Amino acid sequence: MPDVVVSQLKKEFGGNTVLHEVSLTIKDGEFFTLLGPSGCGKSTTLSCLAGLEKPTSGVISIGEETFFDGERNKFVPPEARNLGMVFQSYALWPHMTLAQNLAMPLKLRKVPKGEQQTLIHDALDKVGMAHLADRYPHQLSGGQQQRVALARALVYSPRVLLLDEPLSNLDAKLREQARVWLKRLQSELGITTIYVTHDQEEALAMSDRIAVMSSGHLLQVGSPEDIYERPATAEVAAFIGRSNFIDGTIRSVVEGKARVVVEDATAEFEVHADRGFAAGDAVTVAFRPERATLVDASAAAPDASVLLPGDILATAYVGSRVEYTVRFGKRTLLVDHYRGGFTGPVNVALPEDAVRLYPRTDVVPEDVEELMAVTV
Amino acid sequence: MTNVLTRPRGADAAPNGPEQYPAPRYRSLLGADRSSWLYWATIIVLAVLVLAPVVPTLIQALSDRPLYESGGVFTLDNFVRLFTEADFGMVALTTLAFAGLTTILTILIAVPMAIVVVRTDIPGRRIFGVGMQWPFFISSLILGFGWITMYGPAGFVSTWVRSAVGTVPWDLYTIPGMALTEAVALAPIAYLFCANALRNADASLEGAAQTVGAGPFQILRSVVVPMLRPPVVYSSILVFSMSVETLSVPLLYGQPVGITVFATFLYKNGLQSINPDYGILGAASTIILLVTVLLVVIQGKLLREAKRFVSVRGKATRPRLLDLGWIKWPAVVFIVIYLLFGAVIPIGGLVFRSFTAFFTPLANPFNALTLANYQRIWEFPVYLASIRNSLIVAAVGAVLVSVLATIAVVVARRSTFRYRKLIEYLALAPQAMPGLIIGIGLFWAFAFAPFGLGAIVQGTLAAIIIGFGLRALPSAFGSISPAVMQVGEELDNAARVSGADWLRTFTRILSRLITPAFGAALVLSFVTMLKEYSPAIFLGSAKTNVIGTTMLELWVQGNSGSVAALATIQIVITAVFVGVAGLLMKGNKIDA
Ligand SMILES: Nc1ncnc2c1ncn2[C@@H]1O[C@H](COP(=O)(O)OP(=O)(O)O)[C@@H](O)[C@H]1O
Ligand SMILES: [Mg+2]
Repeated sequence: MPDVVVSQLKKEFGGNTVLHEVSLTIKDGEFFTLLGPSGCGKSTTLSCLAGLEKPTSGVISIGEETFFDGERNKFVPPEARNLGMVFQSYALWPHMTLAQNLAMPLKLRKVPKGEQQTLIHDALDKVGMAHLADRYPHQLSGGQQQRVALARALVYSPRVLLLDEPLSNLDAKLREQARVWLKRLQSELGITTIYVTHDQEEALAMSDRIAVMSSGHLLQVGSPEDIYERPATAEVAAFIGRSNFIDGTIRSVVEGKARVVVEDATAEFEVHADRGFAAGDAVTVAFRPERATLVDASAAAPDASVLLPGDILATAYVGSRVEYTVRFGKRTLLVDHYRGGFTGPVNVALPEDAVRLYPRTDVVPEDVEELMAVTV
Repeated sequence: MTNVLTRPRGADAAPNGPEQYPAPRYRSLLGADRSSWLYWATIIVLAVLVLAPVVPTLIQALSDRPLYESGGVFTLDNFVRLFTEADFGMVALTTLAFAGLTTILTILIAVPMAIVVVRTDIPGRRIFGVGMQWPFFISSLILGFGWITMYGPAGFVSTWVRSAVGTVPWDLYTIPGMALTEAVALAPIAYLFCANALRNADASLEGAAQTVGAGPFQILRSVVVPMLRPPVVYSSILVFSMSVETLSVPLLYGQPVGITVFATFLYKNGLQSINPDYGILGAASTIILLVTVLLVVIQGKLLREAKRFVSVRGKATRPRLLDLGWIKWPAVVFIVIYLLFGAVIPIGGLVFRSFTAFFTPLANPFNALTLANYQRIWEFPVYLASIRNSLIVAAVGAVLVSVLATIAVVVARRSTFRYRKLIEYLALAPQAMPGLIIGIGLFWAFAFAPFGLGAIVQGTLAAIIIGFGLRALPSAFGSISPAVMQVGEELDNAARVSGADWLRTFTRILSRLITPAFGAALVLSFVTMLKEYSPAIFLGSAKTNVIGTTMLELWVQGNSGSVAALATIQIVITAVFVGVAGLLMKGNKIDA
């Protein structure tokens, strides 16, 4: 199965641009996820791949074959693309039994009757639904319908499997099981899979690579680890997992080390700066709560490059760890620590590689910022 | 053989090799796929059907001689003569008075009825609700016959009142008389919109809680009236435009005493004069079309704005009942009077009339029971033929109209065809075309169609089917459209990705899922076309009379007994058909 290549894909709905020149390459056999908040254009991207929407411009191809080329006015309709797709609503045809649902794509391909039987049975068996072949969709639970929808998308061995939030209609418990099951099935089959979700945990747990999207732009493409540990932009850091953000200014850059002064000058530290920052640049400093530790303000400074003085505002015990809310200047920081017992003035300590610098961005919506601001 | 389900990872020897089950191929013709051919066929068929009656009418209106004479010259003279010689201004004023009064009376009947039936706990509200569906079975032509039979100058009730009081304190053959009858026929439509609004607008009933202890008038003013404004405005326009184009009641009541409205003007000038003035006919038709088109455009605009009030919502929540106190009792009496005197007595009287030799309170009609009225219909082949014609037209027409409407809906709502919006407009356009104008226009179109195509159709049942079908098309479209919208688009998309082209998606998936709606459209179209007659006045020939035109003919001959018999037959056919269809559809409900 060849690579899926999307380049400069643009889609407008009546003058409203929903996809801004998105480019992606999805490798053979890869589990590739489009992740982003609702309305960011994930489904539109998938629909363009499937041929259900006609892009405004750009190129889409799989291997040698071009499905869409805006400049050459080439458009291959969905029925000629030989892809498999599972929809959010499962979209099982209600007037057909499960077997008939699976038979439909085979009939359209004029597969001989006998072979159809085998294929249908194999596919339903693979998803553990063979014993229900003669049921109608409405006689199944949501989880079962989702499996059948998957079987229907796989029964004709499509080139690529497209999944649009297939688990979002399941309840939480079932969703976690389905996640494991789906991932295992995919890696057994080795089929190139493009998966759409707004659920970051799902994306992190299942994907080989993730593309993070926001309002029609591609923010970052990388492995789950890349995305989580090394968010390319402050938006990605804000969207994936939890992050603390502090505004600051660069005082000087010497040999790849930037000296950052925190906005209200309550702290100053030096971190590695990998982009071309220069003195005077306004930056946003980001770090994850679980990478920070707490030390008593009176204790000797530990071997950490960044120390942020603050006061404990609130403590929440969540079992495996303790979540502290620390007042730092005018804002609050979240810190996860393995033990409780801190009160009063503390230092938030960070190893150098836990801190990331971004050009100044407003990642936190204003109303949230207001909530978080300490009004003393 | 390996496929993706059995192949272990990495065992794919030739990743770029031929696919095992390649996507199906669909034939294309002259560079366009078959779905595109269907799109274009649909739009062309609709455009030809809709434009066929309109274009000749417009040409005739602007031509100085009849279309069949060559060398016509462009002129506006027809319009000048229309208002000078033909006194069309007076006709327009009369129409305005008639339609305006009809609208007011309709709303006065419909609104209290909707409030009482939907929002109070009066006894028998369910029966009233069902009773309001009577016009579905009975055409306004038949209602007019019934009213004249009972309340006309020589009617049963009138005669009885005259013998009791010495005089009849009403006169049916006046504009108020016409308006009242028309309002009785149209009230159920306005009722439907108001009742739906009252059923759905539960949020606005919050106010009801605050009016605890308030008097009935206060409740009405603060709770009910605001809720009803949109449906009342919308149905007023609807009723107004329907009464602007209606023929039946003005023909039966107004014609004998010289009250002329739009439709009877066309009837008189086109049919009754020995030497019809085609220029005037065309000019009048053009003006009437302009008026009806304008009204339909306003309707569409209002409907979009008031969508949330007139649409039927999915979940039927039981509306909270209002306690209107003593007001509900006069309201009940009012409903009973409406149903009894408006529908039951005239229709019942007409049916009874069909079984008697004469019908007057001065002699006991039970002594005059006879089947002679039916016998006459049986004995004259032309009368019998008209029943057969009506059945053929309604049956064949219903199938054709429902199929065309279904295809139009699906292309309009579920395709990527560039002109899909236009398809919807075309399918709904006949709403704005009065039956007589469709008749006149098609008559001209057939007469002057190229290659003698028109001559093949002219004077046959096919011509009648086209005319009636055009009239029935918008309601068929309207009844199928919501069903298509309800089918999730992902079901279509799933079929497309699985390898079905647009056409096959329609035949394999969508068409199966909208079968019940198709059945409903069939029934609706059948009943509509069975009751229809006005296009046939111009399109029909002696051989292609339908029940409606035959009734008119018999009426003019003064043969009211046989009119009553034909009317009864038409009502019975409708009732039996709807009953059987209802049973069939209930039995056939698929397990899905
Ligand atoms: N058919 C359409 N017409 C107009 N706008 C659309 C259409 N489909 C999607 N959009 C808009 O495009 C944006 C992206 O939609 P979508 O791809 O469905 O988002 P996601 O799947 O990421 O939630 C949304 O703002 C949505 O309103
Ligand atoms: Mg989506």
